[in-house]
Formats: sequence, C-alpha cells, structure tokens
Amino acid sequence: MSENNMNVMPSRTEQKTQAEKKLQVHNLRISFRTSAGKVQAVRGINFDLMKGETLAIVGESGSGKSVTSKAILGIQAGNAITEEGEILYNGMDLLKIGEDDFYHLRGDKIAMIFQDPLSSLNPIMRIGKQLTEAMLLKSRARRKSSRREFAARMDQLSKRMEAAAPEKSAEISRQIRELKELEKASVRKEQAYQAARSCAEEAETECENILYLIGKNAWKDLSDAKKVKEFTRRSIHPDVMPEEEFKQIREHVDALTRGLRACQKNGDFSDKASSVQAIQECLKKALEREKPDYLEKTWKEAGHSESLEDGFMKEFRACAETGIRRSDAEYTERRRKALEMLEHGMETLASGGPDALIPELGPVCRAVDESIDPMDLVKDSMACTFTGNMKYLTSRWREGLRSNGRKEKKYLREKARAEKRAAKGKTWTVPAPTVIDMDTVSSNMERVISGLKDHYEERIAEEGTEDKARKTEQVIRDLEEKAAGMAARMDKWTARNKALKLMEEVGISEPRVRYRQYPFEFSGGMRQRIVIAIALAADPDILICDEPTTALDVTIQAQILELINSLKEKRNLSIIFITHDLGVVANMADRIAVMYAGKIVEYGTSEEIFYSPAHPYTWALLSSMPDLDTKEKLEAIPGTPPNMIYPPKGDAFAERNRYAMEIDFEQEPPVFPISETHWAATWLLHPDAPKVDPPAAVTERIRKMKARAAEVSGNE
Amino acid sequence: MSEPLLRVEHLCQYFGPNKAVDDVSFEIQKGEVFGLVGESGCGKTTTGRSIIKLYDITSGSIYFKGKRIAAGTKSYKDRIREARKECREASPERRSELEAEIAKLREEIRSARRDHEQCDKLYKDELVKEVREKYAPLLENAQGEEEKRIRQEYDEALRIAKKQRYITQIQMIFQDPIASLDPRMTVMDTIAEGLVIRGEKDREVLEKKVYDILEKVGLVREHANRYPHEFSGGQRQRIGVARAVVMEPELIIADEPVSALDVSIQAQVINLLNELRHEFGLTFLFIAHDLSVVKYFSDRIGVMYYGHLVELASSDELFAHPLHPYTQSLLSAIPLPDPLMEKKRKRLKYDPLAAHNYGSEQPEMREVAPGHFVRCSREEFERYRQQLGLQSPEDEKQ
Repeated sequence: MSENNMNVMPSRTEQKTQAEKKLQVHNLRISFRTSAGKVQAVRGINFDLMKGETLAIVGESGSGKSVTSKAILGIQAGNAITEEGEILYNGMDLLKIGEDDFYHLRGDKIAMIFQDPLSSLNPIMRIGKQLTEAMLLKSRARRKSSRREFAARMDQLSKRMEAAAPEKSAEISRQIRELKELEKASVRKEQAYQAARSCAEEAETECENILYLIGKNAWKDLSDAKKVKEFTRRSIHPDVMPEEEFKQIREHVDALTRGLRACQKNGDFSDKASSVQAIQECLKKALEREKPDYLEKTWKEAGHSESLEDGFMKEFRACAETGIRRSDAEYTERRRKALEMLEHGMETLASGGPDALIPELGPVCRAVDESIDPMDLVKDSMACTFTGNMKYLTSRWREGLRSNGRKEKKYLREKARAEKRAAKGKTWTVPAPTVIDMDTVSSNMERVISGLKDHYEERIAEEGTEDKARKTEQVIRDLEEKAAGMAARMDKWTARNKALKLMEEVGISEPRVRYRQYPFEFSGGMRQRIVIAIALAADPDILICDEPTTALDVTIQAQILELINSLKEKRNLSIIFITHDLGVVANMADRIAVMYAGKIVEYGTSEEIFYSPAHPYTWALLSSMPDLDTKEKLEAIPGTPPNMIYPPKGDAFAERNRYAMEIDFEQEPPVFPISETHWAATWLLHPDAPKVDPPAAVTERIRKMKARAAEVSGNE
Repeated sequence: MSEPLLRVEHLCQYFGPNKAVDDVSFEIQKGEVFGLVGESGCGKTTTGRSIIKLYDITSGSIYFKGKRIAAGTKSYKDRIREARKECREASPERRSELEAEIAKLREEIRSARRDHEQCDKLYKDELVKEVREKYAPLLENAQGEEEKRIRQEYDEALRIAKKQRYITQIQMIFQDPIASLDPRMTVMDTIAEGLVIRGEKDREVLEKKVYDILEKVGLVREHANRYPHEFSGGQRQRIGVARAVVMEPELIIADEPVSALDVSIQAQVINLLNELRHEFGLTFLFIAHDLSVVKYFSDRIGVMYYGHLVELASSDELFAHPLHPYTQSLLSAIPLPDPLMEKKRKRLKYDPLAAHNYGSEQPEMREVAPGHFVRCSREEFERYRQQLGLQSPEDEKQ
C-alpha cells in the first residue's frame, strides 16, 4: 500500500528545487527480528537533506528516528533487516554499500553526535588523543582517494582538451604533471611553515602566561621557561623566524633561564619580566609576518618567468573551459541515448512485466553507466546507483519466482495440519510465509527507472542554462584541492594543532591544558563540546545529532545549540537533528519531520509546523508541553505508542487520537499536501472530512506567538 | 503566619573542600509546591537529599513540622575555635564572657547532635508513651476475655508504634525510573516495602493499600505482580510515585521526576502529580532544570547557583521580574516552541565576576519586595528596589 503512495511523495515532486541535495532517503523500511516477532521500526519514510540546512526529526522514543539516523551511518543493530528503500549520498546507496566503503564515509563525511556525552567518550584515553585519532587514521585514506579522483578527472579533462586544441594540450599536460610535483613540494613546505608558526604561537602564549604569573607574584612552575626555550627553538624557519632573529631571542631566553632557582628562593621574579617581554615582542613580530604563497614560490623556483596565475593558469582555464564544454556536450548526448533506452525499458515493463524487461536490462544499464559524467562535482546519485538497484531487484524477482511457490505450498500444508490439530482441541499457530512480494518488486523497478528517466529529462533540459565559466572555476578549484590532498600528510604535530584550533572553535577555554586531560575531568557541557569537536575533526559534510542536549540542563543546552548553529553557518554543514523536544527544534530547524510509529506524519518548514500544524499528533505534542504561560491542565497524550510487531491497520495514531474518525481505524491516510513545502498524513485534510480545529491550547498559543511576533516587529 | 511545614535554616553541605550547598535558607508552607532550579552541579539535588537525611549535613538546621530533624555542628565548632583564639589574648572579664559563650555553644552542639541522631527515637518514644497512656486505664479496668483481647490490641499498637520513624513523613521520587526500581522485586513488593518496614504485617491490608494506590496513579491491579522491566518509562515513574505516596507522606521531594521521560509522558506524570497534590493535600519540593515545567507546577521558585540560593519568589513574580543576573540568564536560555521568537532570542551570559562588585561585603539574602528575596549586596539591593519601582526602606521611614 505504501508503494501506491510513492508517487505522491513530496520528495519526488520537490525535486525541482535548486539547492544541492546532500542526502536523499527514499521509501526506507527497516525492521528488527526479535523473539516476539518482527518489529517494524521504520515504515517507508522519504526526505531530502539540502546543503547547509538543518532537518529536525521529532517524535517519541520508539518512533524510529534513531533507527533512521543509524541506518544513514550504517551502524544498525545486528538484528536489523533493511526491507527496502535507498539512502543516496554522493553517488552511493548507503543501504547497499559494504563495510569497506562505509569505513571511508563514517566519521569522515557523515559524523554523529550521540546523546550521552559520557558514554561516547573513551574514559581511559586523553581528550587530545581521541580528537586526533580520526585525523591520523584518515590521513592516508584521504591521500589515496584524492589521488584516485584527481587522476580520473584529469584524465577525462585532458582527453577533451586534446580533442579541442591538440597543439596546446600536450604542453598543458606536461605542465600539469610538473605542477603536480611542485604541489607536493609546496604542501610539504607549507606544513613545515605551519608547524614552526604554531610553535611560535605556543611560545607566545607561554610568555603571556609567565608574565601574568609574575605580575601576580605567583610563578611556581619553572618548567614554563624551559617550554619557552624549546618552542622558540622549534620555531626556527626562514619565513617565521630566521636564524639571526632567533639569535636575538636566544639571548633573552638565556637571560630568563639563568638564575631562576635563585629568583624562586627570593620570591622575586621582577627582573625577569623584562626579558620575557622582550621574547614576547620578538615572537609577536615573527607572528605578524605574512604567509608566503608556497605554490607560487615553488613555481618560480622551478624556473618559470611568469607567475603561475598570469601564465599557466590563464591558459589552462581557457583550455579547460572548451574541454568542459565538449565533455558536457558529449555526456548530454550519452544521457539522451540512455534516456531512450530507459523509455524503451519502461514500455517493455508496462507491456510484459519484469520477465520481459530483465533480459533487456544489460544494454540499459550499460548506457546509464556510460552516461555518468566523472566531471560532475556532485555525483549523480540516481544514475550511479541505478545498475546496483536493478541488479538487486532482478535477483529478488528471480528468487521470488523460484521460491515463492514452494513457500506457499509449505504454508498451506502446515496450515492444513494445524487445522486438523485444532479440530482435536489443540492450538497450533503457523507463522505466515516470508514470501517476496512480486508486485512490490515490479513496482520498485518501475519506480527506479521512471525516477532516473525524470531526472535525466530534467538534466537535459537544464543543460543549456548552465554557466560554463563557473563550472570550470569549480572544477579547477576541486582539482587544486585534490592535488593538495594528495600531498598533505597528517603528522601528530599538525593534528594536534588542528585539534587545538577545533577545541577553541567549539568554545573550550585553555585548550592546551584541556588537551591532556581525561573525559572525567570535564563537566557535562564541556564533554558534549568535545564530542562535537571529535565529530567535526574530519570536516564532515553531514552531521547527525541524536538528542545532543537531552542530558544537559537549560543553560548548557542553549550554549550547545548556539554552538551547533554557528558551526553550521561557518562550515555550511547539513544537519539532521533528532529530538523529542519541540522547544529545542524551534531554535535549530529549517525543516521539521514529525515521526510517529515509523512514519513521517507531518513535514514542513519550522514556521509551518509551529504556526499551522495540521496533524493531530503534532497538535498533541505541542499541547502536551507546558510553556511559560500555561496555567490549565496539560493535555497529555493518552496511552502509549502502538506495538510495532503488529502495526495498527489504519492510522497508527488513531487509538490515541481524540479526532480519530472511523476511516482512521480502517485505512491508512495518504499524504495530503498543504503547501509546496508542507504536508501531513491525516484523513482530517481530506476534502470530505469534517472541519476540525486544533485543541484550544494550541490555537491559543499560536495566537499569542503571532501577537508577540507582531509586537516585536512593530517595535523594531 | 502559621508554622511552615518545612523550614531550612542556613543549610550547609560540604564534601571535603567542596561546598555543594552553602548557607541556604527557605521555608515551605503546607500544601504548596516549592520549585528548586539551577544548572547541574549547583546543589539542588544535594539540598533535597540533605532534607531527607541521605547525608549528614555540615551545618545549619532543618525543621519539619516544628521539630528539628537534622542539624549540623560545623558553624558552632568554628565559633568555639575563634572564641578560644580570642581567649588567649583577652582581658579577664572578656575571657569569662567568652568562656560562658563557649559553654553555651557546647550545649548547642549537644542539642544539635541529639536532634539529628535521635529525632526518630524521640518521636517513637512519644508514640509509645501515647499508646501506653491510652491503654493503661483500659487494661486496669478490663478482666478475663476482655483483658486478653485488649492486651493483644495493646501489644500490636505498641509494636507498630516502636517501628515508626518521623522521617517517613517525607518521601522522595527519583529522577531515573529504571535505576530507582529494584529489578528483582515485583511492583507489589516495591510499593509495599515501606509499609512492611513500618510494621504492617497483614497481607490483606497491604494488598488493599497497594491496589488502591495503583489505581490512583493510573495503573491497574494486574500490574502489581509484574516486574519493573515489563513497564514503559512513564509507567515506571508512576510506580515510583506510588511508592512515595503510599506512605501517606506530608512532603514529597521530587528530584527531576520528568527529566528522563518523553514529552507526551512528561505531561501525563505532571498531571498525575497535580491530581495527587490536590487529592491528598501534598506538599512538594520540586527539583528540576526544565524551567517551563517548574513554572507550570510550582507556587514558589528558588534559583540556585553554585551552592547558593540566589533568588526566591513566587513563580509569576520570578518570571515577570527576574532581578538576579543569574536568574535572568537562566530565563533567557529557555527554548520556546516559537521559531520567529527563537531566531531573535538573545541569550544573556552570566559571569559572577563581571556582574557583581562585592568588594569586602558578603552578599546576603534580602527581601526586595514582599516575598521576593535576592542574594545581593547593599548597593544592589537599592538598585533592585528601584527597578521594581519601590522606594528604599530609608526613604519609607522618612
């Protein structure tokens, strides 16, 4: 039945939106095998996650929100069964890829913040090690993947360029090879520079600290002076602190370290203050130096007269643009061809069913595979997963043909036997056969093909409007990034500096001290900040927050939410925010999905959900929590969520719903669109349904909120 | 004003150098709900646990229905030490004065110790005495069969009286409904345990009481023979509530009773507490960090910050005129289900060093408006009064 709903699902109709889709979840169904039966935790949900947007999933415990997030991260419990659906991310279907591929995604591209900060940190590892662990582990994998992607893209681009301008391209290819080598050298140099600079920074903060302690007359730990010495020595670098400058500093450092013990005995460090100040000034001067452009520098050193930007890059850009134009034209043609094949496939499927389609699938899949453009910066997930999906569905179909009949027969046999026993007065239940639903398989096939067909039609139509110059710019920037990624090697020192920056970014004061502490030395809010920092350590695209503030109290909660919000803006993160607290959601979410019993019952922007909620469950959630004006009795939702081993026949919420109609117990409500971005699955929105107002508590609150908003905007 | 049900005076609870609760005083009137809010680690739970004598308090006194149930001695000891020091250099007259004071303080310590350790025993002795007085004339007059029956009754009453504890009139509801129920005891055993300890032996009476209370908290009789794991979170918390209420307490200390529950279940439990409160005329000390819930449920609210009570007022007053900067920052952090307001919300930060300039003066609780106490210095006090549009007391006198 949910198959029929598929076509009206908003995620499909919404596809015209321009924003970049980071993650698409289609018709996800997950169950759990338990001793009591199969628990249907998620029953066909659809949503898209846009770049730089927060999607909140709200619902009671057991509504399937955490299961969804765990499916995205591939960390489901062992007894989970993925019945169907797809989670598309960057050309992959996360439900079908193996653990090896997930290893590269998890924590790196998709990161998660868990509910309980204490249990998600390792108690016997220092914070610093936990923060840098992922960075160090991933460094090699990143180099590898960068190399692979760079090669693929460059290969394609140079082929096209050669076809476009054969006389120039040979020269450009040669220069690119050279540039690749230079890039490596320049990245090494830059890392050395960064290391020296961070040492200088370290020494500077140490000086600051010593000065402060001297001022308070409380300097006890003399190893600080040794640290200054060590760090200044390590910051020798032609672009940070040249040798001659270091000689100067060393004099001051020697003056500082000489006779410290005696000073400590006297308790008078005042004459040391001047040398510390001198050191600090030198360091400040060193830190003010601008960072040189190492790539440019190496390019010049390699004996090129013109600068990189004016000389080579200009030429390359022009060449690349023609190359990209050619490649785009070629792939559009391939897409057209694939589209024809798909249309043909649809016809075959419509007339002869999967049996007729399957023998013809080979060339269709080939055509689709050929039409995948490696120049796409964002991989075309639907095209990339097409072949895999079709293969899976084909095998399901064949297996169904082979085994369904047998299972049915066995079932009938056992049922007959059970009836005989029942006649004798014994009870005997026969479990229903787990047959493959052939209709589902065939409709899924249709869905996959028509989905890709629509998608290709759209892409072909858009082709003419694309800004090629911009695309070229993006491709070149991407190539530069990949080249840098190939050379960057993460050593412990770099990782440490990155971790320290990250700790500052998430608002941990004194990161250098905190870096060496254990989790138990932190308060709840600080722990959660560390968990966030760990999640961000690998620069993920998508951040999943599973009730990140439920264990924290109000002030800390507000701080953490502000932090997540500001990080989202700064890094353009896409966030999936899971919670049961609607108050928290209002602050965070751009869009909200309200989940109940494994289904999304209402979906819309946060304004729509809060100011014009449509589903009775959303009403109930809103009216069951007190706000600061509530005086009357709370309208608690009676009862508990249904047992998902036997999901209710009609609307799952009907039993607890004051507004339930007869049809709610009979038939599952389809999705009724309310506006372009807002829909709800409730029979109340059916044109024939009686007009029902939300409970008084909700309408009253909305009225108040609107009045307050108007008042505030009036004041401004 | 009548004697408050609970009076806490200068309560201090130190764990080594860690001052978890420092000089907290408040009163709870009969039938009201007193909310205690603050961030985690501010000492609100410790306050609750000190009241029910899960800890021995460091100093201060706690009075329940006029009787002192807990007392600490540290403040007296400190004073004695100071007096001794002074004694060494004082003139003879002063010395005799100080010695008299020390003797008085020693007496105080003795009485505090006696109250703290023996309040249950004293209460028990009182009850036993009452029973004896009641039955003495009856026993004298009765004869034969009659005497045997009365003697039996008397023994039973005496046995029960001996098992009474004063402190059982205060009961506690804990935060985590999973951790606070014994997984190996049925609901029946869990709820009846307190009654059994109090001397109730009759199985039928116990069953009746348990069944009654189960129905009161929205469960059914059949649940009595099940184990905690068979219940959902909300139901478990109902069992926790039933366990507290079945003892017929006068004061219930509810330590974050809804924090661990789902939103929809939270509403059910709050409604249940509200109903019970009206039905049994219960008094609550309600500890929570969710300010919306506290506002909804409490008559008066105390705000705690790092062991100090910084503001105390009726809940409407506190939310309408928060005076202490910490209260203001706390209120500004409440998330509201209103996206437009949320986007404009500015959270105030509280930095005790920047917000106050106490210098040498120690801040203390002052009554800024009737029933509205703030921990503040003299100068802040004036400012707060001006904020409320009240005149300073000096002006009033003129």
